[in-house]
Amino acid sequence: MEVPIWWGNAPSAHRRSLLVLSVAFLAFLTGCTGQSGGTWHVLSTAVGDSASAIAAARLALGLDSAGKLTTAATSTALDDALRELQASRDTVLRLTPSTPEDRAVRQETLTVLDTCAAGLTTARDAVFSGNGSPSLADGDRALKSGADSLSQLKTKVDSK
Amino acid sequence: MKRVLGVALGILTAIGGFVDIGDLVTNAVVGSRFGLSLVWVVGVGVLGICLFANMSGRVAAASGRATFEVIRERLGPRAGLVNLSGSFLINLMTVTAEIGGIALALQLASSVHYLMWIPVAAVAVWLVIWRVKFSIMENVTGLLGLTLIVFAVALFLLKPDWGALAGQALAAAVPAEETASSYWYYAIALFGAAMTPYEVFFFSSGAVEEGWSIKDLIQSRIDVLVGFPLGGLLSVAIAGCAAVVLLPAGIAVTSLSQIILPVAEGAGKVGLAFVLVGLVAATFGAALETTLSSGYTLAQFFGWSWGKFRRPAQAARFHLAMIICLLIGMAVLATGVDPVLITEYSVVFSAIALPLTYLPILIVANDPQYMGEHVNGRPVNVLGMVYLVIILVASLAAIPLMIVTGAGS
Repeated sequence: MEVPIWWGNAPSAHRRSLLVLSVAFLAFLTGCTGQSGGTWHVLSTAVGDSASAIAAARLALGLDSAGKLTTAATSTALDDALRELQASRDTVLRLTPSTPEDRAVRQETLTVLDTCAAGLTTARDAVFSGNGSPSLADGDRALKSGADSLSQLKTKVDSK
Repeated sequence: MKRVLGVALGILTAIGGFVDIGDLVTNAVVGSRFGLSLVWVVGVGVLGICLFANMSGRVAAASGRATFEVIRERLGPRAGLVNLSGSFLINLMTVTAEIGGIALALQLASSVHYLMWIPVAAVAVWLVIWRVKFSIMENVTGLLGLTLIVFAVALFLLKPDWGALAGQALAAAVPAEETASSYWYYAIALFGAAMTPYEVFFFSSGAVEEGWSIKDLIQSRIDVLVGFPLGGLLSVAIAGCAAVVLLPAGIAVTSLSQIILPVAEGAGKVGLAFVLVGLVAATFGAALETTLSSGYTLAQFFGWSWGKFRRPAQAARFHLAMIICLLIGMAVLATGVDPVLITEYSVVFSAIALPLTYLPILIVANDPQYMGEHVNGRPVNVLGMVYLVIILVASLAAIPLMIVTGAGS
């Protein structure tokens, strides 16, 4: 096979080792950029991310009820919040806690995240509801309840 | 009069075309987590892109050839290949992020899921590249991108505590809830977003497309030196809006829908309409630029016929390369990977690849064989060397910081 001029005439062993090194480097990067840490650290991150998502959803809902946001933009913001919440939930589900205390707090986190997800669906229903049931106020109440639970959980998790 | 109008149009399109998905996302993320404490990086990045865009425009005007063509000839095929690999991969990543950005912006306007918009966005990009004249394409997207000024308007309407914002900007410090490593990781990301390599390739290839000569250099210098800093102010306004509304609410930006919330709060539905037009225009304009840049870099390296000034049939491989890049971008996005995540990685990888782009430009701009009497002057070279050191430090620190911070998380 003719070697392209731009490839030059470097020895093939040299090219192979360069290729192996590049692949190893990429594998190293892929492996290292993932979030690592103990159960409590992962839980703290998941709870923090979820609190941020719920806060964004509440802001979007508030702007919607003030007539400052369109239905399309509000529903997209709520969908994004739900996606972030699900990502946090997946992270928590992948945990393998070793002590009963770790298992209990993981369970508590999952329960709170489920409450928040339910709050987000109520809020989403409120945005699309034509007859005001559930209303935007119902949606905000559901989200506030989720935010309060997350705040309490965050304090507990961060104290460890 | 015609010349003044030309300069004004150039400045306006430079402002409107400055912000892309990387700037939008990175500035909003930084504003929502660090306030304005990283605003100095935008200043450093804007000065750097002014310096190197100006240099690459001068190379194109003096030699009548695009920067990448000259780099390959001046440095040889191997060094050119290293340059090509780094720049092209980053470009491809940025094409993907920009198409994703268009789709996300259209979802915000329509509530139709962004995955449905991706083929529409990619086909629209291809059609415009195929059919629309270079100057029309550049001016329309640039002027529509100006609607992003609504971020600055919203910032005023939000009536922030200007003293507190100035304090954050002037006494840059790591916020209590963040670590020093994430502060520096995002500093590099912001720097990479401001100095994305495609901007210089597009700028120099655009100079050839538009047939610049030495006498056009003054106008291009004004466009760059006025338009880019004003575009940088837009970036600061995006960070400012996030710092005023999202940071106190405990919202760390992870999606495009969060970036528009401060504008809606400050300027209501009218502001929302402007910001949506601006998002589509900015990402669409940048998608055109990055797709063209992918074609430019490949064609200029391999010696293919290239340019929109030629009929597509006369530059078939150039056009085919761009179609393949768009298809790759679509395929990546079709996997469901988050476009915002791609954007966040693309700006950091841009920073990593910066030396591969900017060192060759500095070398070529000092070669009298190509530049004649228009080689860099001493002050430009001193500034260029200072920037090379900054670029090198950012490039070397990016990967360790990415690992330590878990990619900023």
